[in-house]
Amino acid sequence: MSTESESETGTGTADRGTTAPSSSINLESVRAVAKKDFQDSVRSWLFWGLSLFFFTLLVATTGVVSYFGEDIAAQGATTDVLVGFVSEITRLIIPLIALILGWKAIAGERESGSIKILLSLPHSRKDVLLGKLIGRSAVLSLSLTIGFVLAAAVVAVLLGGFDVADYVGLLLVSIVYGIAYTSIAVSLSSLTRSTTIAGAAMFGVFILFYVVWNALTSVASLLADRGVPFFETISYTTEMQGQEVELERLPDWVYFVVNLDPGEAYGRTLTLVTDTDMIELQAQLNEEMFGGELPFFLQDWFALLILVFWIVVPIAVALYRFDRVDL
Amino acid sequence: MPAITVDGLTKTYGQTLALDDLSFEVEEGEVFGFLGPNGAGKSTTINVLLDFVRPTAGRVEVLGLDAQTHSREIRSRTGVLPEGYRTYERLTARQHLEFAMDSKGVDDDPERLLERVDLADAIDKKAGGYSKGMAQRLMLAMALVGEPELLILDEPSTGLDPNGAREMREIVRQESERGATVFFSSHIMEQVEAVCDRVGILREGEMVAVDSVAGLRESVSDGTVLRVTVDRLDDDAIEAVRSLPDVSEATVESEAPPTLAVRVDGSKTDVLSALENQGLEVRDFSTSEASLEEVFQSYTTEVGAR
Repeated sequence: MSTESESETGTGTADRGTTAPSSSINLESVRAVAKKDFQDSVRSWLFWGLSLFFFTLLVATTGVVSYFGEDIAAQGATTDVLVGFVSEITRLIIPLIALILGWKAIAGERESGSIKILLSLPHSRKDVLLGKLIGRSAVLSLSLTIGFVLAAAVVAVLLGGFDVADYVGLLLVSIVYGIAYTSIAVSLSSLTRSTTIAGAAMFGVFILFYVVWNALTSVASLLADRGVPFFETISYTTEMQGQEVELERLPDWVYFVVNLDPGEAYGRTLTLVTDTDMIELQAQLNEEMFGGELPFFLQDWFALLILVFWIVVPIAVALYRFDRVDL
Repeated sequence: MPAITVDGLTKTYGQTLALDDLSFEVEEGEVFGFLGPNGAGKSTTINVLLDFVRPTAGRVEVLGLDAQTHSREIRSRTGVLPEGYRTYERLTARQHLEFAMDSKGVDDDPERLLERVDLADAIDKKAGGYSKGMAQRLMLAMALVGEPELLILDEPSTGLDPNGAREMREIVRQESERGATVFFSSHIMEQVEAVCDRVGILREGEMVAVDSVAGLRESVSDGTVLRVTVDRLDDDAIEAVRSLPDVSEATVESEAPPTLAVRVDGSKTDVLSALENQGLEVRDFSTSEASLEEVFQSYTTEVGAR
């Protein structure tokens, strides 16, 4: 990927051709920026304060679950309950930490002028964006890993054991989920010079996925009830307490849109890596709605794709745009 | 090959014209003082050299390379002390320098660099606790990493006390002796005087003069000011002095003691003789060159601009 070897133009005059090596990506540069950013943000009190809040919440919840969970343990479902509870917490907390960790990533450096230190050195703007994304993702991953290990220790002490594979799966998917939100945060942060606007954008993202997106299903149902075109419901049959009942569901595309939410994708991806019954029960119910087989966009592998989408697309837009602005 | 070539550079921010068809060259190996009042466009020019901002029109080459397409290569061979930066408050001086070395892919000695800028005792302290002057020293040390061919220093004396400013000029001199080209911006004339081979004066986005310090002084003052104290003032005598070919200006500077200020480009004895021929007694006289501040002001204020 590194392309800085053409520097000798021979004639002594500048090459004003179409190639723009200044906007290339140099992996050594990305590494240097990522390392610096990790060193810098890992020393942030705000970040560790948030992490501590997260650890406490996680450990307390798992402690409570474990303490009252002896009956569950007898049924061999401890890990299910653990994964279920933990993922409910992380689904909400990870975006918060990632957005707060990332909102100043670029806007803050532009506002204070410290980006001049970064870009006085031989880094391209793309190197800076990628280095920031990697550095902050690493910091977030460190926090998540510490939190998960602490919670696991509590569970292990109280219950004597749990399914490590499922738990590690939960951690890995949580990290991917965290990187998706970090990508959103760093990218939005690169679009403005003002940390105030960047902060508002972070808040907007949170509201978008936690208020607007959650309301989508209800709004779609309302519109469907009124027979608004494109919202017509589809009937399906299911068995309830031994009886066949006919129910209605929203059209496919509403499910597709609802599932674009990173949080929704996070939950679904979890079923891919853990064999948690609680989540699978939900999936079965869904299958009946679609006549036995889920459409591709509701299948678990697609949820992983959606998470990857939320990592790749925001940073790709930022990489394109940040190269073209005055600092 | 010039170290910096700026050719017809224009930069507008919305309706504001920051740089207007600016052209100049900085020769390899020279120390070039880039002078102008605040807001004249010095930082905008430097921002274009470093590809922080993109020109509206014009061509800029640094080290023979296009400043836009080859910025990474340029910055790998250049040391920069930017203006309006902020250090990473959670990182130490050592970490700042290690980052610069890492970024440039060079090996250097953080302790030696910090000794040069007199900051060695703060090497493992976090930059958040530094004074403005300490931060400025750290940035200068970062600029020196890897013995760059070109140093771009934007207002390097900011935050430094007179002693610090002198040390900074000493470093500029050492770097120049090593063979580096130094491009040095300031809004204070006397800071560039001691170290710069040539000075360019920028006013409202235009280069109004480029010359050596001595050349600039000469072009502004049209020679020296001769102050003559006489026994009495006489209009005819003043007229006689004014009519001399080398005199551009003659005014009464004070009544008691009666003193004339005469701007003269050639023989001063002609002036003295002319006064004596009119029957005046010359009691004392002195000469002075135009101060650098006068030179600077004559170029950067509307009245004195030429």
